[in-house]
Amino acid sequence: MIRFFSGAFFLLLSFSISAQRITGSVNEQDATSKTLKPITGANVYWAGSTHATSTDTAGRFNIPRVSQTNLLVISFVGFTNDTVKIGQESELEVVLRSDQTLQEVVVRGNANAIDRLSPHQTEIITTRALAKAACCNLSESFETNASVSVSYSDAVTGSKQIQMLGLSGNYIQTNVENIPGLRGLASTFGLNFIPGTWIQSIDIGKGAGSVVNGYESMTGQINVELQKPDSQEKLYLNTYVNSFGRGELNLNLAHQINEKWSTGLLTHASTLQNRIDNNKDGFLDLPLYTQFNGVNRWKYQSTKMMAQFGVKALYEDRLGGQKDFQRDMKGTTEAYGFGAKVGRYEFFSKIAKLFPDKPYKGLGLIVNASLYDSKSYFGLNKYNGRQETLYGNLIYQSIIGSTNHSYKTGVSYLYDNYNEQYVNLPILRKESVPGAFFEYTFNHLDKFVAVAGGRVDFHNLYGTQWTPRVHLKYNLTDQTTLRASAGKGFRASNPLAENYGNLVSSRAVVFRESIRPEVSWNYGASLTHEFKLGEMAGSFITDFYRTDFENQLVADLEDPRYMYFYNLKGRAFANSFQAEINLVPVKRFDLKLAYRLFDVKQTLDGLEDQSTLQPKMMVSRDRVLFNAGYALPYDKWKFDATLQWNGKKRIPYMGDMTDHSEHGMVTERLSTMAPSFFNLNAQITRTFVKWDLYVGGENLANFTQKDPIMGASHPFHQGFDGGMAWGPVTGRMIYAGMRYKIVR
Amino acid sequence: MKKTLVTFVAAMLVMFNVALADGDKVVKIKTTAVCEMCKARIERTLGLSKGIKESNLDLKDKVVTVKYNPNKTSPEAIRETIINTGYDADGQLANMKAHDKLPSCCKKTVAPH
Repeated sequence: MIRFFSGAFFLLLSFSISAQRITGSVNEQDATSKTLKPITGANVYWAGSTHATSTDTAGRFNIPRVSQTNLLVISFVGFTNDTVKIGQESELEVVLRSDQTLQEVVVRGNANAIDRLSPHQTEIITTRALAKAACCNLSESFETNASVSVSYSDAVTGSKQIQMLGLSGNYIQTNVENIPGLRGLASTFGLNFIPGTWIQSIDIGKGAGSVVNGYESMTGQINVELQKPDSQEKLYLNTYVNSFGRGELNLNLAHQINEKWSTGLLTHASTLQNRIDNNKDGFLDLPLYTQFNGVNRWKYQSTKMMAQFGVKALYEDRLGGQKDFQRDMKGTTEAYGFGAKVGRYEFFSKIAKLFPDKPYKGLGLIVNASLYDSKSYFGLNKYNGRQETLYGNLIYQSIIGSTNHSYKTGVSYLYDNYNEQYVNLPILRKESVPGAFFEYTFNHLDKFVAVAGGRVDFHNLYGTQWTPRVHLKYNLTDQTTLRASAGKGFRASNPLAENYGNLVSSRAVVFRESIRPEVSWNYGASLTHEFKLGEMAGSFITDFYRTDFENQLVADLEDPRYMYFYNLKGRAFANSFQAEINLVPVKRFDLKLAYRLFDVKQTLDGLEDQSTLQPKMMVSRDRVLFNAGYALPYDKWKFDATLQWNGKKRIPYMGDMTDHSEHGMVTERLSTMAPSFFNLNAQITRTFVKWDLYVGGENLANFTQKDPIMGASHPFHQGFDGGMAWGPVTGRMIYAGMRYKIVR
Repeated sequence: MKKTLVTFVAAMLVMFNVALADGDKVVKIKTTAVCEMCKARIERTLGLSKGIKESNLDLKDKVVTVKYNPNKTSPEAIRETIINTGYDADGQLANMKAHDKLPSCCKKTVAPH
């Protein structure tokens, strides 16, 4: 109800004679009494022009008509902008919809969208777009997105890696509802820990992020919004089964207890117990696994306060390796096995004090505690990791004088206790980081927005860290937006968790020195242009980003016998260029074509001081994505297909290492290039009043990497490496499923 | 793979043509919808029903305009669908059980808002 009414605005049209000037009032609706209250100081301006005014203390405005446009924009901080098409009428009554981000009221219709107001280059993947990739978790959610690409990190463990701006997902800050989520040791399997049906929407921010959420974002930030306890759907059941034998069950419940309290339960269970070895290399193509995952949370909402708290729990058990490997052969050389048992437990809470008569003001507190515990083995090698995290962030936002000048400020605290053990090597690290931040936003009629932020963090191990970041947005015209950003990022790396897939090998892990934290600078700019070709609507987006590392963790795989970890000596950078065109030729028919170019290089430090700047391994220089979707009204039938082309990438040399090659004849150690390949996914959905049926396929082109595991026949000998997967390990996969919904 | 793509595009075009097929009829039915939420509910339920191409409800006069394929459905069946959603259709009373399940803002007793 509220969603529909406050989501729209009311226009009481008075059809009098056409006047020279437009007068009217701008109001907000009081949540309890439903009466209208005037907004003072709201911006009223003609789209794409300099003619602007603002409302007086009675909420009234008066603006002359202009010849260039009939679109009048009304905006005010804390409220969603409205654009009103002016015809004959000269008196308007506008009701703005509150947009308190702390309330998390999100209504999204289109499948993919670029957030037009945000000064950050932000792409939004909505529930609609998420339904395009029916399966299964966060890692698949980026399938129709050109900015983020996903690949298996190796051919054995089933863990996945995302990539953005040419760099691994470790450099993206991944938050779940603005709480840092998939970080530290959880980054290995983290993407598999957020089931797709839990996700309401995903925001992908490219380039430097806001300082409010911490210092760790280097190439971008991803924020995942989960299904809300007060959502419209009180029951959502999803079942899924695929041709590999994977089965999945998701049940989401939402219950409004009374006007103020609501509670939600999100659950997930999935399993694969089918031993598949289609490429006949003696190894399972996919690990057997079972996952149980759940979230229970409570929400309190009144006009003055919003509070949320809840618990998350996850258990996952994986078993992979050679086809005949059984659990009791662990620690023997009978068969090579991989196993991982992961438990993750989290408590989270968010409390926000709202100021109903001052919507630009807010005070929020986030407190979060989590425990991640994993026990893995790779053949004879054991790896255990445990991470305890405590996180608190207090944010205050307000304005200076008028809403043209707003700011966010606050303090944060992060505690991480890492306890890892690989074979006989213990790795312990305790981080305790109090910090403070301030972010100022200048807004000129939403036409020009500048955000300057800085934070200072007092790291117990690495000293005081200063993180500045700047964002600019300028609307060249009403259809064209320019954005630019620059900022610093800082993070402590976790070499083993971040290179987990490479542990499935006969490589000896060598830490050449103690690893310092990674520091990078990211600069970028983007251009978004919306256009009309006759009746056809479209948009064009292009961006360029560069990430420069002051220090980076180097995982050197050039020598097939070792995985060396050391600090960067010299240069490392990643350039990323992307161009994307979206077209809507006819109603409900969407086309997307995107091209992306990466230039990623890293200085590798040979043992005899021959540093060379090398293209980073496992990164395709080129990638093309084409997506087409067509839907009948109300999505009665929905068709969707995505075709991707991944260019060549450099893979490490895996040949023999003769003795003399170590003495200066490094040139013989030629790395090779993996070929380019296509990937085609498609899906059909049929919607009924209460439920949907879907059927689809992944990797329909049936391309697989021929020998994803090097030396698969001798897993306990030199030259064995499961971390060399550059393409799909499994072939064509067909899936089918059902969604059932009861709407409140 | 090319073949798959061609098949897919062909399938889409077929569906598109079906959507534009001639011989469709239009019926106007008076309902008891009160708000945007009612409008959305009625339009969606009808839109997903067999043989219906388009449905559009005008909240001012509460009349829903339905475009349908006469070979697949009939005005009676369409009215039946509206009744089972919880609303009156051309004076025929709503299914009480369905009506009771509607949110309070959508019930007949509620004052116009």
